[in-house]
Amino acid sequence: MHIADGVLPTAVAVGSYLVSAGLLTWSARQTEEEELPKVAVVSAAFFVASLIHLPFGPTSVHLLIPGLAGALLGASAFLAIALGLLLQSLLFQFGGLTALGANALMMGVPALFCGWLFARFRGQASSRQALLGGVAGALGTGLAALLLALLLVTGGEDFFGVAKIALAAHLPVFIIEGVVSFFTIGFLAKVKPEILNQSFCRVRRPQDAVKEGNQPRKPRL
Amino acid sequence: MTPVVHQLPTAYLLLLPLPFLLFFGLLEALRRWLRRGRARQGERDWSLPALESEPHDSLFSRWDVRCKLLSLLIYAFMIAALQQLSSALLALLISVLALLLARTPLHRALMRFLALGGFMGMFLVVMPFSAPAHPGDTLLVFHGLESFPFNLRGLELAATLLTKGVAIALLSEPLLGSAPLPVTLQGLSRLGVPAMGGQLVLLCHRYSHVFHAEARRLATGMQVRGFRQSTSLPALRAMANFLGMLLVRSFERTERVMDAMRARGYQGRFPETVELKMRPGDLLLSILWLILGIGLLLADRWG
Repeated sequence: MHIADGVLPTAVAVGSYLVSAGLLTWSARQTEEEELPKVAVVSAAFFVASLIHLPFGPTSVHLLIPGLAGALLGASAFLAIALGLLLQSLLFQFGGLTALGANALMMGVPALFCGWLFARFRGQASSRQALLGGVAGALGTGLAALLLALLLVTGGEDFFGVAKIALAAHLPVFIIEGVVSFFTIGFLAKVKPEILNQSFCRVRRPQDAVKEGNQPRKPRL
Repeated sequence: MTPVVHQLPTAYLLLLPLPFLLFFGLLEALRRWLRRGRARQGERDWSLPALESEPHDSLFSRWDVRCKLLSLLIYAFMIAALQQLSSALLALLISVLALLLARTPLHRALMRFLALGGFMGMFLVVMPFSAPAHPGDTLLVFHGLESFPFNLRGLELAATLLTKGVAIALLSEPLLGSAPLPVTLQGLSRLGVPAMGGQLVLLCHRYSHVFHAEARRLATGMQVRGFRQSTSLPALRAMANFLGMLLVRSFERTERVMDAMRARGYQGRFPETVELKMRPGDLLLSILWLILGIGLLLADRWG
């Protein structure tokens, strides 16, 4: 779910733009040139996943995949999600202008946290990775819903009711996302384990590289 | 001053959903109408991005892209800061005029509007009941439902938010749709957005169509093998494998595309397609637009 324009107080909208810009710069620095195709894939998947509707009781939910993005990309996940949102706004006629920063925070911060969690505890066994993937998937959605509610609450007590409803509406997505992420990460761990992120921060400082006798890393795109 | 309370008989409760039903009915009707229009055009090849038809020649397409992005974005923030319904309606009127000036196709504007529908609909339904009663508020209390007063201030607040949201959403069509995508991205990179971001957006644009086609192919394959969507565990597992397979295939394909691009000399930069030129008229238009925004803000606070 996207926060629409005009809902958040102006100070919050501007502030979240600034924080997002800072995180985006950091995330872009963590991304190496070889990873760019993967970032583009996850950005596009972030968009395509929002088109896949899963039936849930009388209604349907669509996947949000911040947790999955984190597990795949680690620190670059924020970049992928911000790009996905920009793309949606530019080309597919949805997503906001002034709320872009808040939306990026809402989805990107959970992705970063889940990325860190996954990289930290992933281990080697595919069953463990699947389990952790499930936790990351559910947690990603839960945190995103929590951030959404927090952002709405900054509007004052008139927004409390809406924030509660928004939080409750994410409960089915929370469960489905956890189950789907569990199976998806399990699938990826068996079929193409190298696609899963190995460590949260990828960048080695140039002096380390020289110490190890390697070439300093190539300039980024 | 205490809230003004109007006691209404329970029968009036039946009238209450009417405006909301009208709102959601309108949304659904527009959605169906758009879908029918698309079906009439026939099935297109989803693996290709929609070739953007050259935007209509208009005030907005002639406006220098850097001036346009900067001034309209600042103006959008000014709209977001409005507090009164009347000034929000004025901003909506300006956005509609801008749409007409930009000669935006109707269906694109409607899609922007529809994208807001669900989220803002929730505000319209929830806020009148959840807004706490302040001194001076008008409350409608239905006989037998005393604990759920209908606060007209909440309704007005939700309507203001909806109007502001629609005004900004409609404005993004002249802002982003009146120039070809590479030109908009070129403008963004001149405004300090790292070039890598722009390049990635262009690549993603291409890939998202490829994935969409791939996803449809996989989904068709699953359907002919008897897969039906449900919330059961096996069905969710099948969907998860579908998502995983989509990621694996897309990833491999993207890597091949990237290698092929590098082999053809791609070094992280596409050639710039147009030369950006800023004329005094562009600056003047930006200044006028910002003055319009400041005027709206002043009218909102002291009008």
